[in-house]
Amino acid sequence: MSDISSKGYAHPEALVDTAWVAEHLNDPNVRILESDEDILLYDQGHLPGAIKIDWVGDLNDSVVRDYLNRAQFEQLCAARGISNDTTVVFYGDKHNWWATYALWVFKLFGHRDARIMDGGRAKWVAEGRTMTREVPSYPHGTYSAPERDDASIRAFRDEVRQHIKANGTALVDVRSPQEYSGERTHMPEYPQEGTLRGGHIPTAANIPWAKAVREDSTFKPAAELQELYTGQQITPDKDVIAYCRIGERSSHTWFVLTYLLGYPQVRNYDGSWTEWGNAVGLPIEKTYKA
Amino acid sequence: MNRQASIERLFDHYEHPRNHGHLDSAQVVQVGGQSDCGDRVVIYLRVAADGQTIDRVTFEGQGCTVSQSAASILTDMVIGEPLDRIALLDENGLIDILGRDAVGTRPRCATLALTTLKAAIASYQSSQRQHN
Repeated sequence: MSDISSKGYAHPEALVDTAWVAEHLNDPNVRILESDEDILLYDQGHLPGAIKIDWVGDLNDSVVRDYLNRAQFEQLCAARGISNDTTVVFYGDKHNWWATYALWVFKLFGHRDARIMDGGRAKWVAEGRTMTREVPSYPHGTYSAPERDDASIRAFRDEVRQHIKANGTALVDVRSPQEYSGERTHMPEYPQEGTLRGGHIPTAANIPWAKAVREDSTFKPAAELQELYTGQQITPDKDVIAYCRIGERSSHTWFVLTYLLGYPQVRNYDGSWTEWGNAVGLPIEKTYKA
Repeated sequence: MNRQASIERLFDHYEHPRNHGHLDSAQVVQVGGQSDCGDRVVIYLRVAADGQTIDRVTFEGQGCTVSQSAASILTDMVIGEPLDRIALLDENGLIDILGRDAVGTRPRCATLALTTLKAAIASYQSSQRQHN
C-alpha cells in the first residue's frame, strides 16, 4: 500500500507520489506541469519532460483581474500538448501552493484528470531524483473546453456577503494569524499591493493553509486534517468558502477540503482580502489592538 | 542582454551573492518583505562621512531567486553612489537592468531590495535631519 493510499483520503486519485511520476515521465498520456512562485526555479532545473505553467503569465488575464477565458485556456493546453483526456500532474514550490492554484484554474474549465504530486518539487529534489534544464516540446494537443465555470468552485464578493449571513455555511481564512487579526495589512514597503483595512471577514475561522502539510511538503493524513478543520467548525455538511489575500493560498485549502477530505461544496474566493479589505462599506472584524 | 543571459546572471548572483551578510557598522538596518508568503530582505546601510554617498551596503534575506539575486545585483550597483541618485532609480528601471524578459512578471520580487534600500536611505536622512 502506498503512502497516499494509506492516508485515508476521500479522493486519493487526486494525488500521485514522486515514484509514480518517475514511472510516467515518458507516458504520452501524462503531462507534468511545474507551477511555482519562484519564476526562475523551472529554469534552474525541473523534472524531465515537465512544462512550466506560470500563474501570472499563463493563467491570469493580462489586463482584467480575472483568469484566462475559454479560448485562451484551449490555446494554453493545446500548445503544451495537452488534450482533454491528458492526465495533468502539477507540482511546484512552497508545499505545492501554486500547483494547487493552477489545478484549481484547470478545474474551472472542467479538466477531467488533474492531480498533484504529493510533496511537490521539494520532495523530488530531496529524494535526489533527476532534474534537467532541457525544455521539452510536444506536438499540439486537441483541446475543446467548456466556458469557464465560475459557479461551482469559485466565489465572488457579493456571494460572500450573503454567505456570512446564511445558515449552514462556513468561511475559512487561510492567511497568517497576523493578517487575520489585522496586525498586518500589507508587506512592509509595499502599500500599493496591500489593503486599506486590516482584519478578516466576519464569521471566518483562521486556519493557515500550511497547517495541512508536513515538513516534507506532503499532505497530512486525513485524520489529522479532519481534526484541523472540524475543530474549527469547518465541517463537510456546510457550504464552505475559503479565502486568503488573492486566492492562491486558499486554493491549497480548497484542494485539501475537496479532494483529501471529500467536502461536497467548497469554493475559493479569489478576490479575497485584497478585494474585501479595499471595498467601501463591507463589514470587517479586527481583533488586533495596537 | 537576452533572456537567457539575464537568467544566467541572476543564477550567478543567487548562488554567489555579493555583499551578503550582516554589517556591524551599519547606521540603518531596514527590513522589507513578508516572511509568511514570500520574500524577505534586510538591508544594512552605512553612509560615507560626507553624508551623501553610500559607503557600504549589505543584505541578508530569504525567498525566491529573483528577490535574492536582485538584492545582490542592486547592492553591487549602488556602493559609492550618491543617495539622491538612488532615490531617482525607479522600479521599472531596475527591472530593465535585471532583464524584463526574465523578471517582468514578478515586479514585487524584483524591486523588493530597491524599495527596502530606499526606505533605509529615507530613515538615514530623517535621522540626520533630527540630529541637525
